Amino acid sequence: MRKYILTRILKSILSLFAVVSIIIVMIYTMIPRTKIFDNDAGIKKMKGDTRTIYVYRKYAELGYLEYLRKQDMCLEVFGDGEDYTACLVNESAQQHEAIDFYINKGYALETLKSGDPLVYHDYNWLELLGKFYGRLFRFDSKNAIQDEGNPDLERKYYWGKNPDNGTPAFMCSGCEYKYQLYFNGKFPFIHQHFLTFDFGESYPTSVGIPTTQVINEGQGAIKNSDQTFPTGLEQESALIQTSCKYKVTPDHLDEKKFDDHYADCLSAHESPSMVSTSYIMGIIALIISYGFGIPFGISMAQHKDKFRDKLGIAYINILVAVPSLAFIFFMRSIGTLLGMPDKFPQLGFDDIRSWIMPIVILALLNMPSLMMWLRRYMIDQVNADYVKFARAKGLSEKEIFRKHILRNAIIPIVNGIPSSIILCISGALITESAFAVPGMGKMLPNAISQMNNNMVLTLTMIFTALSIFAVLLGDLLMILVDPRISLTSKGGE
Amino acid sequence: MSETNVNDELFTFQPADDTASEHIASPQYSYWRSVFRKFFSSKLAIFMLIVAGTIVVISIIQPMISGYSPMNTPNINNSSMKYIRPNSTYWFGTDDKGNSLFDAVWAGTRTSLFISVIATIITNVIGVVVGMWWGFSKKVDAVMIEVYNVLANIPVTLVCMILVYAIGPGTASLIFALCVTSWIGTAYFIRVQVMIIRDREYNLASRCLGTSTWKIIRNNILPYLISVIMTSISRDVPAFISYEVFLSYLGVGLSRETASLGQMIRDYSPYLTSTPYLFWIPVAVSAIISISLYIVGQTLADASDPRTHMV
Repeated sequence: MRKYILTRILKSILSLFAVVSIIIVMIYTMIPRTKIFDNDAGIKKMKGDTRTIYVYRKYAELGYLEYLRKQDMCLEVFGDGEDYTACLVNESAQQHEAIDFYINKGYALETLKSGDPLVYHDYNWLELLGKFYGRLFRFDSKNAIQDEGNPDLERKYYWGKNPDNGTPAFMCSGCEYKYQLYFNGKFPFIHQHFLTFDFGESYPTSVGIPTTQVINEGQGAIKNSDQTFPTGLEQESALIQTSCKYKVTPDHLDEKKFDDHYADCLSAHESPSMVSTSYIMGIIALIISYGFGIPFGISMAQHKDKFRDKLGIAYINILVAVPSLAFIFFMRSIGTLLGMPDKFPQLGFDDIRSWIMPIVILALLNMPSLMMWLRRYMIDQVNADYVKFARAKGLSEKEIFRKHILRNAIIPIVNGIPSSIILCISGALITESAFAVPGMGKMLPNAISQMNNNMVLTLTMIFTALSIFAVLLGDLLMILVDPRISLTSKGGE
Repeated sequence: MSETNVNDELFTFQPADDTASEHIASPQYSYWRSVFRKFFSSKLAIFMLIVAGTIVVISIIQPMISGYSPMNTPNINNSSMKYIRPNSTYWFGTDDKGNSLFDAVWAGTRTSLFISVIATIITNVIGVVVGMWWGFSKKVDAVMIEVYNVLANIPVTLVCMILVYAIGPGTASLIFALCVTSWIGTAYFIRVQVMIIRDREYNLASRCLGTSTWKIIRNNILPYLISVIMTSISRDVPAFISYEVFLSYLGVGLSRETASLGQMIRDYSPYLTSTPYLFWIPVAVSAIISISLYIVGQTLADASDPRTHMV
């Protein structure tokens, strides 16, 4: 069993990387790269060499290519000497030598309008993957920070306290993050900074902010709270102290609050982050859909071919056939008639009315498949021998359905529960887009239309990882519920 | 022991009647005739067939006559032509560019139907061929099940969006993306069905008698699979229409030059309160077309299952 789970996990990781790799190669090689500037307001104001250099810098930042300007080329080839100075003069013999050196290494040459040479080298697909995965995992350690301006930086791990709630926290000096392990009331309650993921920065929207921060950080106005800082200063502030990172040059405001260099902190916000928004919405919808779907499915199976069953089947058929988008808009207009807003941001996070319609629609969309399968499984069980035996024993129909049939029919449904819970994080693409809910589901189409490659990759990786592990978890849960099921040995044969 | 009075006078000669023997023999069974009899016994299915047929015919013929293109906007500067409510001249009214919505809707329906029909055909042909092979050969199964485990876990919508994003928008790339992501689901579905009947007694008997694998597939298994394939097709057509509408709504499916129901729904959703017909007509058409095709397909799938033919 343990061996099976281990191979399953390994296979899951493998398929995750396979999918992400394919998508990286597709995005970087198949989409014309000039398109990333379509939504960049800044570039429209630039001309000539400034523009060319900006373009190359952006390409390099986004991982398309590597480029070297005159200074870098000369420094690399001649070192810091007389030849270096000669090399900086355009058309000099030394400069030609430097350019030839790079052209022989497979670089291409572009001469700027000013006459300065610039060499660049497009990454091939293997280098692209290497760059992406090389950057992806960031392990924090006490030797992570190498700051020449602060040679006396202490390097140690120690136990401290989470300033927000007084629980113990595992802390570090010399690491990138001060709080390595801490607890708070936010999901998933235990937080760590040993391993962080770096997907690069968002571009062209939310420029300069890491993509993971864009989807994880709260939204809306900043939220102040009374805090005590390490220096003893008591102040109203929005900073989240547990998120503090090393800052090379703390300013005097930072020095008032912090007695060390860990002053680069995130701020708390009034509204939940994109991930939490999708999650809150999804979980409530999930509870509703299971809460109603399971009784409905049971009742349909109990009254097979009666009015109730036919009504249920009509509902299932309509939802399967009608494009979800049409159904969502139809429900939304019913909601408007009842006084609900047709877009989430109209009333915002604080008003409960913003949440009702998206949640109801999500629940209604989830229910048909649940009802259909539960009904199917239960009807399949009705003619089983054990049911006939139970009937022969004289049990009431109600008892048979509740205690015998349901217990067997619910097993395949249990298999789907982890997927449903975990996939709530990924949100509901269509519903969130229709209601303009600021969540994860809406983020992906937005990122795609804005050509935000790093964001597309981040979301792809998150969504794929979630769905792969949800399937795995569902299988494991099924074994727990029904000990007869064995995943290792093949049945039948 | 009683005396039996049997003599020739009790009997009369009858001429041989060929027609009578037809009645005495087991009733003639024709598969396709039974399918049609079963299908046309459902009034809802007949009604939906007429609806679907009408929509398909109009969406093929009407755009040929109107020659509608979203890029051709002759009335763009004529404000008296814009936002005309549905009337006898403009059955569906006119849109924000002064074009007839009637033309636009049918051109859009043609795109949606074309995409979903082509994608359904490709997906099901590849799916059935691969699924047959997959279900029959244990060696292929060992490899394919691993491929399936990798591919099945990937969210289809996501990959579809990324593919269209990477290849660039357009009808061909949308069809490609839909097929790439969905063939393996159909193949897996067929594989399971093939495995169920592969080792049934009658197939084992056939094999013992020396029937070739190809003949077993063609004569024993394919007929059995017709209803299964029909079920798969009747699910795919509305699903692909739904995908097309959804992807175009998000703006990652088709380019601006192609009329499509999804793009119309996206473009006109801000007009929901001011000129609601602009928005509701494309939504209604997409819903009607999906429901009618789905019900026709489902009834046909039921009717093509020989087990339902015994009355």
